[in-house]
Amino acid sequence: MARHKTIQTEEQEDPEMNISSMIDCCFLLLIYFLVATSLVSEKKIDMTLPANSSSSPSSSPPPEPGNITIDASGQVQWGTGESLMPIGAPFDPSLTPGTPGYRDQRDMSDLVNELQTLSANAGETGPVIYLQANAATYHQRVIDVMSALAKAGIQRVNLKPAVED
Amino acid sequence: MSKKKKQNQEEVKAELNMSPMIDCCFLLLIFFVVNATQITVSKDPSIMMPNAIKCDDLKDANGCIVVNVFPPEQRMDVKLLSKFAEKYGGSPDTIWWSAADAGGKSQGFANDPAGREALADFIKKQRTALEEKPEFQGEGKSQIRLYLRGDANTPWLRSSLAITCAAKAGVNNIVFGTFPAKN
Repeated sequence: MARHKTIQTEEQEDPEMNISSMIDCCFLLLIYFLVATSLVSEKKIDMTLPANSSSSPSSSPPPEPGNITIDASGQVQWGTGESLMPIGAPFDPSLTPGTPGYRDQRDMSDLVNELQTLSANAGETGPVIYLQANAATYHQRVIDVMSALAKAGIQRVNLKPAVED
Repeated sequence: MSKKKKQNQEEVKAELNMSPMIDCCFLLLIFFVVNATQITVSKDPSIMMPNAIKCDDLKDANGCIVVNVFPPEQRMDVKLLSKFAEKYGGSPDTIWWSAADAGGKSQGFANDPAGREALADFIKKQRTALEEKPEFQGEGKSQIRLYLRGDANTPWLRSSLAITCAAKAGVNNIVFGTFPAKN
């Protein structure tokens, strides 16, 4: 009788499974994936304003500057005077991220081509770029141009103060 | 025989289950690791970041002076607007910029001569505080940057004025905060 009883209790103990560690593990994985998916980290574009330091006067003539203008409608233009060339379409603020055509609007491959030609001819000192944007231009439009500059490998730009109409 | 059994039971009781503790420690470790990499720049949630096709990862947020540029009231999301009012006690039509100090406390700056001056002073203060650190002396001075978090719908005038304030405060390097553009 006594022998039989001990066997029974042993059997009863056996099917008990410790699931707490499994829950812990699952929790860990859950939190890991939760955090990993929610992190869309911010990126950046570096730009340096040319400091008005007294750089040594070079004998070679200064390279021809590149001029980028953005008007109130968000139309980007390259060049000055008669050689003014519109790039892309005016900015459409109704296009939000995820809508079709949004990425096309961000794309400024014409400007990138112009900038690459300019920096190829500029030599060691690098090209001089002037960027003038209208006060009413959307910040996003300026970022599009900055993105094109970054794509062309240009990290120095002269930002002119915003023009108001 | 019965004595031996008792001894066995006592031995079982003395065993300590370490695995939950290890699991817990792991969890805390991962939590802090993730947190520590995210604290680097304090981000204002009321800003809708612009998207850029070509952008890089911000590898080192050390030396970044963060300035947020807000859009006008009618271009801001209603939910974000109430949060904004709660945080800065005003409308984004008057408060154009905000910046966070080293302690992470945000401060709004209005668009008037006094507000612009305050912003320039604020940036200058942070710049001088950073310059005292050994890693930002000499060559590392260029690591002191303005991290401009402009809303995508902000008129360029606001961003331009913030850059002007930074230039006045002696910060010439600018980092434009963006999100990568999705397809």
